[in-house]
Amino acid sequence: MEIEFKMPDLATTDSAIKVIRWLVEVGQPVKRGQPLLEVETDKAAMEVESIATGKLSAVHVQPGGAVAVGQTIAIIATEGGTAVSPPVSVPTPPVPAAAPAASPSAPPKKAGGMFAKNRAATQKSATEEQKQSIALSPAQRTVARRMQESKQTIPHFYLQTSLNAERILARRTAAASQKIAWDAFFVYAVGRALKKFDRMGLRFETDHLVPSGTDAVGVAVDHAGELYVISIGDPAAKTPEQISGEIRALVEKLRSGDPEAKRLRPANITITNLGGANVETFTAIVNPPESAILAIGKVAPAAVVQEGEIVPQHRVSITLSVDHRVVNGKYAADFLGAIVQELESL
Amino acid sequence: MTQQAMTTSAGGLTNYDQGFLLGLYERMVLIRSFEERIKFLFLEGTMPGTIHQCQGQEATAVGVCAALKSNDYITSTFRGHGHALAKGLTVQELLDELFGAVTGCCKGKGGSMHVGNMHKGMVPGIAIVAGGIPLAAGMAQAFTMQKSGQVVACFFGDGAVAEGAFHEGVNMAAIWNLPVILVCENNLYGASTRVDKVMRNPKISDRAAAYGFRGETVDGNDVIAVHEAAKRAVTECRAGKGPVLLELLTYRRTGHSRRDPCHYQPKDEREAWFARDPIERFAQRLLARGGITPADLDAIKARVDQEIETAVEKAKLAPQPTVADVETDVLA
Repeated sequence: MEIEFKMPDLATTDSAIKVIRWLVEVGQPVKRGQPLLEVETDKAAMEVESIATGKLSAVHVQPGGAVAVGQTIAIIATEGGTAVSPPVSVPTPPVPAAAPAASPSAPPKKAGGMFAKNRAATQKSATEEQKQSIALSPAQRTVARRMQESKQTIPHFYLQTSLNAERILARRTAAASQKIAWDAFFVYAVGRALKKFDRMGLRFETDHLVPSGTDAVGVAVDHAGELYVISIGDPAAKTPEQISGEIRALVEKLRSGDPEAKRLRPANITITNLGGANVETFTAIVNPPESAILAIGKVAPAAVVQEGEIVPQHRVSITLSVDHRVVNGKYAADFLGAIVQELESL
Repeated sequence: MTQQAMTTSAGGLTNYDQGFLLGLYERMVLIRSFEERIKFLFLEGTMPGTIHQCQGQEATAVGVCAALKSNDYITSTFRGHGHALAKGLTVQELLDELFGAVTGCCKGKGGSMHVGNMHKGMVPGIAIVAGGIPLAAGMAQAFTMQKSGQVVACFFGDGAVAEGAFHEGVNMAAIWNLPVILVCENNLYGASTRVDKVMRNPKISDRAAAYGFRGETVDGNDVIAVHEAAKRAVTECRAGKGPVLLELLTYRRTGHSRRDPCHYQPKDEREAWFARDPIERFAQRLLARGGITPADLDAIKARVDQEIETAVEKAKLAPQPTVADVETDVLA
C-alpha cells in the first residue's frame, strides 16, 4: 500500500517548515524510524524520521521548498503490513476492520473530531497565505521595521510651506553639460541650514539629545520598487552641481546591484521627493534615528500676487516632518525658513 | 559521563523475588515501547499536540513508584508518561488522553502535558517547572495532619532546582519534617542548558544539607539502586524523618520535546549514556541472575507491544469531547 507522509507538527508557531534535503533517494528503501529528510523550523534544523518501512516512491517537496504542517511531502510504498500500524489520516480515518467496538455509552466518533477540523482550517489558510504572500527582502524588512518603529515611537509634527523655485530652474538651465538633479538643491539647502540650526543634528535617546555624529543628508531612492536611502556627506561644503554628481553616481551604483550601495548609512535628515511622480504635497515618516525628513512636491507654475500684481511663478511645496522630542515648533519653523531662504537665493 | 559519586546496586539480585524483578522490567519496557509508539503517532500527525518523552529515564519512575503504596501520591511535570505508567495508570487511559478523548485519564482536557489520575495517586502533571514541589509539601502536610501514613514522591528535573518554588517548597517540607521524597531526575539538561552552566555545585543532593535533611545521589539508570534508595527514603518519611532528596542521575535519549533535535548533547556523551541504558543493563543482570531466559524477556516485549497496539487502535476511535463539555471539570 502507499502511505502519504505528511509534515509533522515540528514548528513552535504556525510558520511553514522548510525542507533542507532528502536523506533517502526516491526509489530507495527506507525503514520506519530512519531519518528521511532534514527540515528547518522557526526554531531549529532537524531530521525527520520515516513513519513506515518500504520504498520511498515519491517526494512532493524539493530542497528549499516550504510546506505547512500536515501537507503531504512524500509517498512511501509498503509491502502489505510492513508498517507496524498503517497511519490513519486524521480527517477521514478508514476504520480498521478489526477495530474493537467502542463502549455503548460512548458512541464512536471520527478520530480527530474538533482537532481535525481546527487543523484542516489552519492548514488551508496557511497554504493559501503562502501562495499569495510576498517575502520581503532583508533590506525591505529593515525599512518596514524602522517605519513602524518611527510611527509608533516618534511624536511627529508637520510644517508645510511653498517656495519660489525660479532660482532652482535658472541654475538647472545654466548647467553646462548635465542638468542638476532636483534633489541636489534640497540636499544643498538642508546642509547649509543645518550649519545654523545645529539642534536639528541631534537625536533623541532616553531623555537625552545626543549628536548624530554625521554631517550627511540622505536622499530616498526608489530602486526596482524598493526604498533605499543614499547619503551625501557634508553637503554645506559642496555646490549643487557637485552634490548632483554624487547623487547620480550613487544611484548608478545602486542600480548596478552593488551590495555596498544598498547598505544603510547614517544621515541627519532625509530628502524624499515625489515631485517627479506629480505629487503636489505630502508628509513623510521620519527615518530613525534622524530628527526630521523633508518631503518635496512637484515644481509647477502658479499665479502669485506680488506687490498687487498677479505674476506667473514656478513654485514647489515642501513639508518638514519633525521629531518633537528633538525640537519644538518655532525652532523647526525657523529651520524650514532657512531652507527656503537658501533655495530662493541660489 | 559524570564525575559524581553515586549509589549503585551490586550483587546477583538473588534476594529479590523473580516476579517482582520481572515486574520492574516489564514496566520499564512498557514505558519505552509506549514512548516509541507515540513518537510515530506524532510523526504521522495522527495524534494532536507535541510530546515530551522520557526514553532513557525509565528506571527512575519505575524504581521510585515500586517503593510506594497505591494510596501514596506522586507529582510530575510535563515529562510524565513514564511516571503515570509506573504509578499504575493504564496504557489506554493515557493514550485516550493524548488523543484528547473523553475516555482519557483527564477526560481529554489535559493532553500529554497533564496526564494524571487522582484515584491512582498521580496528581495531573504540572507543566510549570518546579510547580509540583510546593504542592507536594502541601499534600504531605495534609497527610501528616490526618495521620494517614501516606507519602508523596515529587518528581522534578535538574532545571527545577534553580526555581524559587524549589526553595519555598523544600524549606517548608524541611521545617515541618514532611513525608516528601524529593526526586530530582537529573538528566543533565534543563531543556537545552547543561547543568554545569547554571550550577556552580552540580551535585544536587548536596542541597539537602542546606535545609537540614538527607540527600543522596543515585545511579538513575540502575533500577535496583533507585528502588533501594526510594525504599530507604519512604521508610524515613513514614517514620516522620522526612523529607529526603534523591538525585537520580539519568539521561534523556530524545530532545526536550519532539520539536527539539537535541543537537546540544555531544556525541561521545550520548554514546556513553546509551551504553548504560537502564533496560539493557537490567536485562543483563536478570539473565546473569539465573532462572530468567531471553525468551522470557522477549515474551514481555511482545506482550507489551500487543497491549499498546490494541490501545492505539482503540484510542483512534475514542469519543472526543463536545462543545457541551467545554465548561465541565474546569476551574477558573
